[in-house]
Amino acid sequence: MYKYIIRRLLIFIPMLFVLTIFVFGLIQAAPGDPITGKNFDPNIDPEVFERQKEALGLNDPIHVQYWNWVTKVMQGDFGESYIFKGRDVSELIGERIGNTFYLGIFTLFITIIVSIPIGIYSAKKPYSILDYGATTFGFFGLAVPNFFFGLVAIYVFSIKLGWLPSQGSVSSPGLTGIELFLDKLQHLILPGLTLGLAGTASYMRFMRSEVLDVLASDYIRTARAKGMTNRSVLYKHTLRNAMIPIITLLGFEVGILLSGAVITEGVFQYPGIGTLFLSSIGNRDYPVIMAINLMLGFFILLGNLLADIFYSIVDPRIRYD
Amino acid sequence: MKAKKSWLVMLVLALVLGVLAACTGNKEPASSENEGASEKDPVTGGTVVGAMDTAPTGLFNPIFYTEAYESNVLSFTHEGLLTQDKNLDFIPNLAKEWTFNDDQTEVTFKLDENAKWHDGEPFTANDVVFTYKTIASPGYVEAGGVRTQYVERLVGYEEFSTGKTTDFQGVVAVDDHTVTFKFAQPNVLALSDASFMIIPEHIFKDIPVAEIPEAGASRNPGEVIGTGPFQFSEMVQGEQYVLKKFADYWQGEPKLDSVIWKVVDQAVILGLLENGEIDFVADPNGFQAADYETVDALENVEIVEQPDFGYQTMGLMHNHRSKEDSEAGTINPANWTVNEKLKDQKVRQAIAYAINRQGLVDGLLYGRGIVQNSPIATQFWAYDDTTPNQYEFDPEKAKALLDEAGYKDVNGDGFREDPNGKEWVLNLNYPLGNQIRERSAPIIEEFLEEVGISIDLRQPKEAAAYFEDLEKNSQDWDLYLIGWSLDSTDPDPSGLWSSMAGYNYSRWNNPEADQLLKDAFTPPDAFEQDYRKQKYSEWQVEFGEDLPSVILYAANSLWAHNKRLQGIDVLPYSFLNDTHLWHVTE
Repeated sequence: MYKYIIRRLLIFIPMLFVLTIFVFGLIQAAPGDPITGKNFDPNIDPEVFERQKEALGLNDPIHVQYWNWVTKVMQGDFGESYIFKGRDVSELIGERIGNTFYLGIFTLFITIIVSIPIGIYSAKKPYSILDYGATTFGFFGLAVPNFFFGLVAIYVFSIKLGWLPSQGSVSSPGLTGIELFLDKLQHLILPGLTLGLAGTASYMRFMRSEVLDVLASDYIRTARAKGMTNRSVLYKHTLRNAMIPIITLLGFEVGILLSGAVITEGVFQYPGIGTLFLSSIGNRDYPVIMAINLMLGFFILLGNLLADIFYSIVDPRIRYD
Repeated sequence: MKAKKSWLVMLVLALVLGVLAACTGNKEPASSENEGASEKDPVTGGTVVGAMDTAPTGLFNPIFYTEAYESNVLSFTHEGLLTQDKNLDFIPNLAKEWTFNDDQTEVTFKLDENAKWHDGEPFTANDVVFTYKTIASPGYVEAGGVRTQYVERLVGYEEFSTGKTTDFQGVVAVDDHTVTFKFAQPNVLALSDASFMIIPEHIFKDIPVAEIPEAGASRNPGEVIGTGPFQFSEMVQGEQYVLKKFADYWQGEPKLDSVIWKVVDQAVILGLLENGEIDFVADPNGFQAADYETVDALENVEIVEQPDFGYQTMGLMHNHRSKEDSEAGTINPANWTVNEKLKDQKVRQAIAYAINRQGLVDGLLYGRGIVQNSPIATQFWAYDDTTPNQYEFDPEKAKALLDEAGYKDVNGDGFREDPNGKEWVLNLNYPLGNQIRERSAPIIEEFLEEVGISIDLRQPKEAAAYFEDLEKNSQDWDLYLIGWSLDSTDPDPSGLWSSMAGYNYSRWNNPEADQLLKDAFTPPDAFEQDYRKQKYSEWQVEFGEDLPSVILYAANSLWAHNKRLQGIDVLPYSFLNDTHLWHVTE
């Protein structure tokens, strides 16, 4: 098992390396650069921007630029942002990754505790009122765009009722301890619910169909024939098998949640990785794009690895060596 | 099993209650304050919250910032020697008074003796010298600075900025409170040049230019030092920026305790204005014209509406720059090729007549804007709204002009062919990023097709790609949409429209127009505003005749503030004026 994990981790390195070459080529191929069209001020001589491009090395051939970038990254230096002038990329990401992480965990938590029980129940009693209710909710959750649900939630819970804050991740600088924790939690509720809605809806549907599938299989019939109670059939035999595909999906979900939820973060002005990523693409802030890509690549690979490890826990037949 | 479950339920319940309790706890003080205070009583102290829709990048140093969002903070914390009044004339600020020498090459300022930096150090002439010297330093541009326009007319700028000499002569401290600006030539823009915000020498003197942008003194709350009425004291990066009053402010202690900038999504600004969570929204984006009625209906909110310093325009490519020159960034009119499709002046005028610009303002901006006819901000003394052709919407006239120029529909397909009977299609290019501009493109297409001009409306491009193309790959472009925001300090349009200007994307090459712009700038005549006004008026007529661009509209700035915020005295170019006099009524 450990050998397997180490081997998998080692494979990450060439995979990430290929990823960086690919992404670096793509963003350089996209038209535009970090300077042109950014500060469109008729009082600033275009010559000034030309000199800045030269100074940033943007006029160098692409392989030279890549080499410069990669050698620095090897030494742990992700460079300085072109747009957030004078700020290290690692610092920029560091300041937002926490927020994204909390939001991701909170969302995942909501998704799991809501969707899995409802999914199981729906499968246990298909075509019952609750099942129809859950199905309706599921389609609703999938159909309503996140930003819209977010705006409605802000309108109702922040503006009309005044219960929850709508913008940002914290009310004011200088909070500490338990106050800070509760304040951050409050700021998480609306974006977390918004993000959780879509996730809940789809996982609920997955769970329902997986459990239904398994319930129809031969070994469940055998278990029933042995005279096992419904309860232990469901929890001992069905769930374990139904969870396998869900775990794969959750593994991917980890990577996706850490990449931030661009639109939801935007509506709530929640400063996470998503909005940073989007704005850096729009601004052609190459060092930031590269660093976030590398990070996401890593987390998605890691999520996959975790999913594989969980398989073997859920299903003892699956062994790695 | 049972016990375990109920334990979990309790935990969840306790958590939810705790969070809700904390929510209501936050709100309580605010509501009790509301009940306690009688209406409209001015109080000392208090906090107001401003909203901006995008976070500043975080570089709070006047000589290096580039974005309007940073400027929102710097307007409270930093000041220049001069500022502009409602007529856009320069008035004293950190400088009390000034005198020009006889040939207008030098201007000497007497500085206010009471001004202090936020850390208590006195403000002196050396700070002024240091600021301008830093902007003129070698490596300033490479470090990311873009404000060289303020120093390039100073004497010896060339030699100093290229490192040929280390002796900076452009700005000289005569004594602690007297400073002289020396220009290479008599300078019409002397006051404008001297109006840049000043940074403290004692903070930055040991930091090399290249390292100033990353220095704590350029970014961190408490370390950013200016002379303004408020000091940058706390922040949550990307979310809020807290400015506390500077009690020793030289124009008197500010009435408010603090001003907080919050970053708020455009979509919820109105809701938060309504429920009082934010007190004002102003530059750069204010609120949307479509929401005007809604905001107007809010009882607690007042709207400030005035023309903006900027306009949207549709450029007409007179000439094309060669690919090689574009790559090299060379501007040489001799290498330009004429755009045959728009060569005829009558055709260009027909295009201007064919577009219902008032219709664009009414339909897209809900009437919150004006039709403008020349590329000078209407607030300036230099804007002439009578002599230049006003191009009232007149499709019949457009058709007549096209007929006259020989562009007629000979094959009966409903579109005109060129005088040789060949197919004549004009392409129209536009960028993404400004919704109203995006929507105007297909409407303009319709207006032009109405008079028989066949238009190829190209796929819009995202801003970064569009401007790169406009700069380098526009060799086959005919019409292009673009918006310009202008500076409020001087109306001179030559940075955009003289033939040698990089931003003259129409590649308009009209020697007479160039000469007029030059005359308007050449001393000693140009020191007379009437003379400049006359020259600019003639230039605007020429612009209207030759039409390198059809100015479409200028949207109004739409700002709003809660009525509890008093003492607001907006300037044509900014909401943030005399903030030390702002106060609240509750």
